[in-house]
Formats: sequence, structure tokens, C-alpha cells
Amino acid sequence: MKAGERIVAHAVVPLDFTYNYRVGQYIERYIKALGEKKIMAVKCQDCGRVFVPPRKICGTCNRILDEWVEVGPEGTIEIFTIGHVKLNKGLVEKIDKPSIIAMVKLDGASSLLPCVINGLDPEKVKKGLRVKAVFKEPPEDSLFDLDHFEPVG
Amino acid sequence: MRNVGIIGVGYTPVFVSKRKDVNLAEMVSESVEAVFRNTGLSPDDIDAITFGNMQTFEGVNLPHLLMSEHIRAVDKPIIRIATGGTTGMSTLQAAYYYVASGIYDVVLAVSWEKQSEGDSQVGLAGIVMPEAMVMVQHGMDLLGGRGMGGMGGGSTGAAAYQAMSYLHHSGADPEHIDKMAALERSNAALNPYAHLRKKTTVEDVQATPFISWPLRYGHTCPTSDGATACIVASEEKAAKLADKVAWIIGVGCCTSDPSTANFIEGQMTDPADQTVCKIAAKKAYEMAGIEDPAKEIDLAELYDGFAHQSLMWLEKLGLCKEGEAHKLLDRGVLNIDGDLPTNPSGGVFSTNAIGSSAMNRATECALQIMRKIEGEHQVPKTVKKALAHGWGGLFQYVTVMILSDTPRKI
Amino acid sequence: MERKVAVVGYAMTRQASDIGVPRPIMLFELVKGLFDQMGITRDDIDTFVLCSNDFQCGRTISNVFEDTPVGAYMKDETKVEADGVMAVMYGAIRIMSGLYDTALVVGNSLGGSEFRPYLIMDYQLHPAYDRQLGILNEPVTAALQAKAYMEKYKITEDHLNKIAARLLRNAAKNPFALRGKEDATPEYIASSEYLYEPLRELHCYPFTDGACAVVLASDKRAKALTDKPVWIKGFGDSIEGYFLGDRDLSWSRSAKVAADRAYRMAGISNPAKEIDVAEISIKFASQEPIICEALGLFPEGSGAEVADRGLAEIGGEMPVCPSGGGLGAYPFSAMGLIRVAECAKQINGEAGDIQVKDVKTAVAHGQDGFCAQHNAVMVLSSEEG
Ligand SMILES: [Zn+2]
Repeated sequence: MKAGERIVAHAVVPLDFTYNYRVGQYIERYIKALGEKKIMAVKCQDCGRVFVPPRKICGTCNRILDEWVEVGPEGTIEIFTIGHVKLNKGLVEKIDKPSIIAMVKLDGASSLLPCVINGLDPEKVKKGLRVKAVFKEPPEDSLFDLDHFEPVG
Repeated sequence: MRNVGIIGVGYTPVFVSKRKDVNLAEMVSESVEAVFRNTGLSPDDIDAITFGNMQTFEGVNLPHLLMSEHIRAVDKPIIRIATGGTTGMSTLQAAYYYVASGIYDVVLAVSWEKQSEGDSQVGLAGIVMPEAMVMVQHGMDLLGGRGMGGMGGGSTGAAAYQAMSYLHHSGADPEHIDKMAALERSNAALNPYAHLRKKTTVEDVQATPFISWPLRYGHTCPTSDGATACIVASEEKAAKLADKVAWIIGVGCCTSDPSTANFIEGQMTDPADQTVCKIAAKKAYEMAGIEDPAKEIDLAELYDGFAHQSLMWLEKLGLCKEGEAHKLLDRGVLNIDGDLPTNPSGGVFSTNAIGSSAMNRATECALQIMRKIEGEHQVPKTVKKALAHGWGGLFQYVTVMILSDTPRKI
Repeated sequence: MERKVAVVGYAMTRQASDIGVPRPIMLFELVKGLFDQMGITRDDIDTFVLCSNDFQCGRTISNVFEDTPVGAYMKDETKVEADGVMAVMYGAIRIMSGLYDTALVVGNSLGGSEFRPYLIMDYQLHPAYDRQLGILNEPVTAALQAKAYMEKYKITEDHLNKIAARLLRNAAKNPFALRGKEDATPEYIASSEYLYEPLRELHCYPFTDGACAVVLASDKRAKALTDKPVWIKGFGDSIEGYFLGDRDLSWSRSAKVAADRAYRMAGISNPAKEIDVAEISIKFASQEPIICEALGLFPEGSGAEVADRGLAEIGGEMPVCPSGGGLGAYPFSAMGLIRVAECAKQINGEAGDIQVKDVKTAVAHGQDGFCAQHNAVMVLSSEEG
């Protein structure tokens, strides 16, 4: 076979394995707090930054993070994008109603949290808009207990 | 070219089947914290990082990105190396080249696996999956096909061919595999960083069922969760940063064609031939100035996913004549207090967090040379030169590293 | 640098959405062709550095299946799972260690026909957080990064369209590129559909098959292998944290740190003056100003001016990606290698219709991760010095 000569037969091999991830000590505590409608973050005692989602290390300061603080549930949209598509297993699919995905700065946090914003006309989304967390009721002990964000008031 | 030495090693506190309490990044960070604790160094001392694991085992693509903060890599150069079972040593060799080149002075090498989060036999099946699927599509019978028979038992199935061939050529008996297994498991019982830590007798091994003759369940390695971090430094920096150094005086690596080593595309050649191992060893010996390895090497840490392999590698590496390894075993030469202690750590056979397995061979050699072994498996003899070996790919990829208590003369 | 290393040979496949041959054949023809062109055999190569990725290949230990096609049978071989610039860097470091005099670096990726690039990128997300939530994916992160830069420096979608149009026009003149359009205008780009605002389809990289091979040699061997060695003067790489919410997306800290390392090694103090052409790896048009500024090729926040005044055009002040860059083709693991090879072409005056005048010094760039979390920079030059 030479370059340029086309292959007619493709072997289609889906590699769809199931993995069982441990969420780890930090996300575990974060999820538990979501069930109580609280968003927990960790604070670095060296640089003072408050990280959400919480994690073990502040990479800049080489510090193991162990001070927990509550942040939110309200925050401010810092960056946003309006989605006209969604991805389904890596394939781009059109959607009827545009979505809003934003980086929200929760009150008291240094990190921006990637969020889905519901209950808002995409035309009206702008930087600086105040939003609040909406939790799942009853909680199901997963990350999805923080369901989405919506405009305040 | 300049001299490079290992100045510190850190392991996760344990190597076990399931680390349920931590996620991937948290687990790996423990080894990095351990190496800093053991050496008294901090991330500020590190110029660059080399990093390796077999990513399909955890289903995370380029996991160094995800854990850059956990391995203290922020703002530092980092390279990801992956070569299969040998990943750990390839990663350490990368650190060696980084320092030997003069570009960086102190490099942290990190390797790990957390096999409990995926199915390792799925990861291994992924090696041959595309070929297998094509063959099935072309009407090949997976179970009956002569070439593919080895797939039946995952990697054990393929290793059974190798064990059979080895026994045939060496004159060793299946009982020698039992004996080697018992020896290594008993060594592992002394090693706090080993996974299967039970003092084991030959009878214990013989009581386990056969998986694929001549290999029994008691001849196979476990799957482990664990991570290893290792700091290497230039001669100049090592003098400032470390009290003891294990010098890397020889490196070697060789690959061949996967189809000449086993069962791909219906071919079946001798998986116990291992010419690659001889070539890799020759390179490492030449670089290290070793003329008679059987005389000059004091200790060996070999990559033995299966117990027969320790015996086989001793021969292929020239640490004894072909067909003699089982005689050394019978004479007690391979024991911790023998003349050629072999896998005093318990080997991969007792602890197998795959990505780190080949690195652990070198770190165990380094700790034996420095006499810094934690646990009871420090060998009584003085170790001047030790050989670390890695094996992987599709039975056809070998890495070798020679460590020494004195640097090379350059 | 104690030991100097040069690029002494290079070859690439055409970059296509379906290269049409199996990977081993693609690699064999590429490498054998390069050896023939250079008049060498595989015995002239001391060490082999492969650049691929088990996820992209859909198989574990993918390198061992590439060993024989590239001529590594019974040889020293290793695999870098990162961008191609990292692989070239590692090849150079191996030579600089003094143990080898020649290295073959080969990268390949079949993102056009064999895997879905956006899905492969999903596997880079934090498996127990971001991947669970499904909020982020590659185009979303790129859109957020684009917004961060555009808002900070007041650049508009029209500027993005100008960048994309320029790259597609360049790619049209590059016979190796997958996607080009001779008469691409900003309006043409604006006529493509939005994925995530402000990014439209034509702002994004095309899914690409391709491979590239580069032969490196020590100063001792280089001149015997070619009349026109291209010297590797400096390199560097750097990584930043994973979480996007803790990074300033309006610039690239890691690209800046990587470039600083490379320039220090190369003795470059004013990159905007001393560099004649840049081949950078961008996946989205919006990344071009961010990377260029981090590399010191243009002043901070100058994206609008650069686009309006055509400063990055082939005939401009600082030509960027005369090949069309990532908008012309983006074969993952081969990408950075192709950037290095394109730089070598430019320096040797072999770039044909995309040749920039009087190139002495060129910079190649590669990236990995979301919003270019890990960056690698390499400076190449015609002068051994
Ligand atoms: Zn901090």
C-alpha cells in the first residue's frame, strides 16, 4: 500500500472502559457540605488565597492546605461564554436554546468557579452580574448537589 | 558528559491494592512530600521534573497537567515519559539525561500508578485491542486461534509461554519457580513499602492454583496503588545537597519488534529469547566500565512480573551463565545474605504499581548502596555496584541501569 | 551549552483529515523517505525519541508498535507523551549528555480519522471533578480564555476574524497544510457558525492526521550529515496550575517562563528584534496574541493593532505562522515537531511560497493542556555561534 491509496476498511473499536475514581479527601468534604447547602473552600495561610473547588496543595506556596472556609453562595460573573452547541462524546452537536457557561467569583473566594447559569436570557448576561447557587433538593451526595447558578433577585 | 547521582528517594507510605482515602493527585503528592522530607530539600531546589505512568490504567490523559501543583511543578520544566512497564526507569533515565546534559542540575523524577481506579487487565488488553479487533473482524477465532491463545489469561497467559520456554532451555524445574517466589515474598515481608508482605514457604506457593501452566497464582505479581519520587543531581550539586549518593554509572535501553516477541499477527516466536535484554545490558556495562558483570555486580533488582523471570533475567543480564540461575538459587546465592542478593525488596513480583515498578528497582539499588533501606531487607554485604532492570513493552523492551558507590571517571 | 545540537534533516507527511494509510505505513514511508533523502540508514541513528500518546492511539504502550516502522528495531528508544517541541528538546538533551551523536524524533497523530480530539481532551479533565460535572470542554475553555483576553485589551471578534483569515490564507500556500483558503477574508470567517462565543468554527483547529520526523546531530556529526545544519540555540518549558479559575487567562504565564528560559539559553535579549519568524502552536485564533505576547514577539495587549496593521503577515514586521499554524492543521503529537521543521525550512530558505525573507533566527512553540497550561519554546538559528 502506498501513501495516498485509500483504506476502505476501518476497524471501529470503541474504548469505553469504566473507571472508579476516588474523589479524594478534599472533594469528599466539598460534596458533603453541598448537601448542607454550603460551598466549602480551602484557604492558603501563606498567600491568603481561597481556593474552590478545594484541593490539597497551593502550588505557588508549596503549602498543604488545611484551613476550611465557607464561600458564596452568591457571587459575580467574571467571564462568560454563550454556547450554541454541546459536545457529545467529543462530537459537536447543535442545541436549540443557547447555554450560558460562566466563571463565577463566589463571595469570599479567590478562584473563579466554572458554572452553568440558568434562568437568564443569554442576551442579558454580562460581566459583573450577581448570581446565586441553586442546590438540589433533596441532596444526592454528589457534585451535582450544586445544580446551577441563577441571577440574584 | 558529567556525573549524575541519586540523592534521595521517597515512596507513598504504603503500596497496597486500594488507596481508597486519596485521589490520584493526592496519592502522588505523598511520594513527593516524602522525598523532600527524606532529603531536607524543598521544591526551590528542583530545576525540572520528569514524570511517568501508564495513563490508560487510570483513564486520565496527560495526568501531569492535572497534578502539577501536587508534584510541586508550578513554573518548572516538566516532561512526561511513558514506555509501558519500563516507564519508571525511562522516567529516571530522562532525569539522568537532563542532568548529564548540563542543562539542569537537580531533577525530580516521579512515577506512579493507581491501578485500583481502573481495571489493569483492561489497560493491558488495550495493548493488543486494535489488532485483536481487526483479526476478529477478519474471522479469527479468539479462543481457538493459536497466536491469540495467550490473550486468554491477560498478561499471565503470554508469560506462561515464556516460562515454559525458559524451563525447557535452562533445565530448571517448575519447583524452582516456586522457590524463587517464596524467596521474594519472604524478602517483601521485611520491606515496609512492599505490597504482599507475608513470609511465604515453597509449600504455600505450591498450594495456589495454576493459572496457565507452569504459572500458578502464587507466581504472579499483584496490582498496586503507589508512587515513587527520586531526586538526581550533578556531582557538584550532590556534594552540597547530600551526605550519600548512589551514582548512575551506566544506562541502557533496547526495543525490538512486538511481533518477534509474542503473538501479534499470528506469529509465535520465543518470548524467552530476550536478545533485547542482552543488548541493553551490554550498553550499560560498557558505559559503566564493567567487564565481568557476574563478578562486579553485588546486587540485582530485576523486573519480575512473574517469578520465573528473576531467574531468566539473571542469565540474560550475564550475572550468571545461561542455565545456572536455578543452581545459584539452590545454593542460597540469591538470598538477602547471599553473594548476589536478588530482589531483596521483594521485586515487582511483590509490589506492582506499574508506572513506578521499574523506577523502584533503581531506587532500591540506590538505597542499598547508601545503606538507607527502611525495613529489615538491607543486605549485610557492602554493595559497591548494583544492577536495576526494567522490562515492558510487549515482552520486548528492556531498560538497565547500573548504580555505584563511586562516580565514573570522566 | 557544552555540546551543540543541530537539526540536520526533517520530513513531514501532508496533513490531512484522513491520511488514508495505516499508522505503521505512514511512519515507515515518512522515515525511510527522510533517510533516503539524507543518504543515511537507520544505523546512523543512535537514539530514537517517539512522540505519541496512548489515548490518541487508542492502545497502551503505543510506542512499541511504532519502533519497527521508524527503524528503532534493536535500538535505544523512548517515548515522550507531550507536545512535539518537548520531544525535540529531549532528543537534543540526550545528545548533549554526550552518550549519543544522532537522534531521530518522530511524532504522529491521527486526530482526523482515528480519534475525536475534543473527546481526548475531555480525558485531560480532573476525573473526579470537571469530567464528572461536564461543564468544561476544550472549546468552552478556549472561549473563556478568548473572552478574558479580549475584554482586558479591548479587542473584538473582527480582530479574531482577521487572525483566522490570515492563517487560512497562509495555509493555502502551504502544500502540507490541511485547511487553507487563498482568499479568506474576515467576513468569510464571520460567516461560519458559533460554537461558544466568541469562537466560531473557523477560529478552531481542524481535526488532523499527520506525522513529522526530525533528525538531530551533535556538532561533531552535523556537518557530515548536511550542508545546512539548523542549530538549536535554546529551549525551555514551563507548566502552571491545573484549575482555570486560579489562572489569569488573559495571558500565559507558563509561555512567558518557558520563553524566558529559552531566550536566556540562546542569548536573546530582545526577541521582537532578534527573531525573524515564529511558528507557534495555537488551537484557536484567540490564542495567537496571548502566546505571541508571552513570547515577547509583540507588546502586551497589542492583539488589535497587530491584526489591524497586518504585522504578523508573511511580509510583516514579525511573521507568525507563515505555514498557517494550528488553523491550517493541528495533528496533536506531531504539531510541535512540525513547528520545528517549519522553522528549519524558513532558515534554510526552503519554504517556497511561504518563505519569509532573510530568516536567521526562528522560534518554535508547542503547548499541552487547557488554555495552554504547559508551554515549550525552542530557538533555532543558522548560526552555530
Ligand atoms: Zn499560597
